[in-house]
Amino acid sequence: MNAIVTLNEVVKEYRLGSVVVPAVRGVTLAIDTGEFLSIAGPSGSGKTTLLNLIGCVDTATRGTVTVDGQNTATLSERALTDLRLHKLGFIFQSFNLIGVLNVFQNVEFPLLLLGNVSKVERTRRVEKIIEQVGLSEHIRHRPNELSGGQRQRVAIARALVTNPRIVLADEPTANLDSVTGDKIIQLMKHMNDNQDTTFIFSTHDPKVTRYADRVIRLKDGQIDDENGVPAKPLAVSA
Amino acid sequence: MGQLILIATQNLLQHKRRNLLLGIAIALVTAMLITLLGLSAGIETTMLRSATTLSSGHINVAGFYKVTSGSAAPLVTGHKELERLVRENTPHLDYTISRMRGWGKVISDTTSFQAGINGVDIDTERGLKNVLRLAPQKDYKPGGTEEIRGNLDNLREPNTVMLFVEQAKRLEVDVGDQLTISAPTPRGVSNTLSVSVVAIAKDVGFMSGWGIFVPNQTVRDIYQLTEDTTGAIMVYLDDIAKLEEVENHLRQLVAKAGHRLMEKDSNPFWMKFERVGNEDWIGQKIDITNWEDEISFMSWTIQSFDALTGILVMILMILVAVGIMNTLWIAIRERTREIGTMRAIGAQKGMISKMFLLEAAVLGFASTAIGALAAVLIAYSINTSGVVIPSEAFQLFTMSETLHVLVRPQTVVFSVGLLTMFTTLSALYPAYRAAKLKPITAIHHVG
Ligand SMILES: Nc1ncnc2c1ncn2[C@@H]1O[C@H](COP(=O)(O)OP(=O)(O)OP(=O)(O)O)[C@@H](O)[C@H]1O
Ligand SMILES: [Mg+2]
Repeated sequence: MNAIVTLNEVVKEYRLGSVVVPAVRGVTLAIDTGEFLSIAGPSGSGKTTLLNLIGCVDTATRGTVTVDGQNTATLSERALTDLRLHKLGFIFQSFNLIGVLNVFQNVEFPLLLLGNVSKVERTRRVEKIIEQVGLSEHIRHRPNELSGGQRQRVAIARALVTNPRIVLADEPTANLDSVTGDKIIQLMKHMNDNQDTTFIFSTHDPKVTRYADRVIRLKDGQIDDENGVPAKPLAVSA
Repeated sequence: MGQLILIATQNLLQHKRRNLLLGIAIALVTAMLITLLGLSAGIETTMLRSATTLSSGHINVAGFYKVTSGSAAPLVTGHKELERLVRENTPHLDYTISRMRGWGKVISDTTSFQAGINGVDIDTERGLKNVLRLAPQKDYKPGGTEEIRGNLDNLREPNTVMLFVEQAKRLEVDVGDQLTISAPTPRGVSNTLSVSVVAIAKDVGFMSGWGIFVPNQTVRDIYQLTEDTTGAIMVYLDDIAKLEEVENHLRQLVAKAGHRLMEKDSNPFWMKFERVGNEDWIGQKIDITNWEDEISFMSWTIQSFDALTGILVMILMILVAVGIMNTLWIAIRERTREIGTMRAIGAQKGMISKMFLLEAAVLGFASTAIGALAAVLIAYSINTSGVVIPSEAFQLFTMSETLHVLVRPQTVVFSVGLLTMFTTLSALYPAYRAAKLKPITAIHHVG
């Protein structure tokens, strides 16, 4: 199989003054193109940290992370940013919308960064994805005029609008009621089926886990094989 | 870019109060800079008007005549030939006049003072006639009437004199009264002549106190000079912007015609006596100067005024810069998470710094534009309401009794441009720091 993301003996330590906090402790993992992968685990087990490493917004203390065939440790800041823009879609645990922009403008933002999408095309894509997440009525609203669930959906639309190769979602359904959560997961599953988009999300939600091709269970920063679905054979040898 | 300007503007509007305060400060500095520059330009035009009316042409073809090597008289001999040469060969020429120059004592029944003696042929004095306004009697005489007595044209008559209000007040004379002029001659004796007052003009800046006007012939009579002698040929141009070019042209023209030319010396003629007197030559030399040279002893006023303006604006701008940096630090702290998000989504560092620079630029431009508008209104109301300057010391500075603010379009463009640029530059460092934020720390940032 062709892995789009591989992690090899990845360690991430945070330094709080003189105390070293290990958040990820030696994770080795290969994720295939088109996989719908769920990362589960209790709070503090390192899910967000792992997603940040794959998402190229954080760098591993030790070990290697490869995304789309590129070792992220060897890439320049600029190249990493480009990788994020062109290959990745990010749904943050805490939405992180731009406060002064309305729903439409927030979702349009990554398309503007791409720079080569015409205004007509932008409008078409933005309106379509906003409709798919069910926010058409709120298209001109600012984030502070939306509920937590609605903001979550804006964040999802923003991550999906560029049709990224990989979507990283940190607890995407945590703030959604079960009906909306289902709809969103189905939308993602649809993209996964039709466009071969790779989805990696962390979640506590069993409903979400049900859709997953594979569930990785984290515990104290390590993959907990005993309680989880056995990991697929690793594609990394070295 | 459009989106960035939108974000910048929206963010400014988000924090109306602190940005409004900063904006007002920038606007005030702009308004002050433009007003002060306008005041300086106003003083300069007043100076130009005073100088070119009273004591100088735009360009002067003058010089010194030395009978012995130890003496120097401010004379041009054979001036009729020279004036014709100039008149026929000067580009952008409006007209020329010829004026005698002298120095002596003006004596009335009650008092006397030293003054420059300007000789004029009143019929050729277009500028003088245009600018001078005769004063009503009450201006110079206690209990005087509104009546304007006298007539400039009477300077055609020999042994007449025109005074300015301030001089008439001091001498306690009226039109029709007699005065005595006493002037020292090179032979060591003072010649005296009796003249009658034929006109009293309103002051033209404070410089008008320094000289009186008499017919050219009267000056020649005092110094016993021939008809073909003058003090200076004053050249007026129709386009003063061409001054330097024409001045150089005249130097070449006069030299080519066989006259001996003095080195360019940017001082008024009366400051050159000692130097010329010590030089080892006799006969005639021609000295070509412009109006700025003739009042260069006054240019310190404008220069110090401009320097003060510069220092003041600089200090205020430093305060504004501190304000801007401080505001941006706060903004960056507040929006750290947002910056991280943008970076995580794929915005390059350059975009983040551009966003903050734009924020400063938008604030700077909006504020300076408003400040400029305010300055134009201030200038307009000062000029129309005729603000009188109370202190004489300050009148010396401004060269007139009322404030005159001349706001040129290029001054407005310059000030708005300069201060907007400065505001934007103040944001450079904060913007750089914002761009350097790591996406991960920015996302984790709480607040
Ligand atoms: N910036 C940081 N500085 C120090 N320690 C951190 C930092 N970020 C995370 N940690 C620590 O790393 C560990 C893993 O955190 P992480 O956020 O990855 O957990 P998580 O599984 O996403 O938890 P949750 O389900 O609550 O979101 C935790 O012990 C956390 O305290
Ligand atoms: Mg988390």
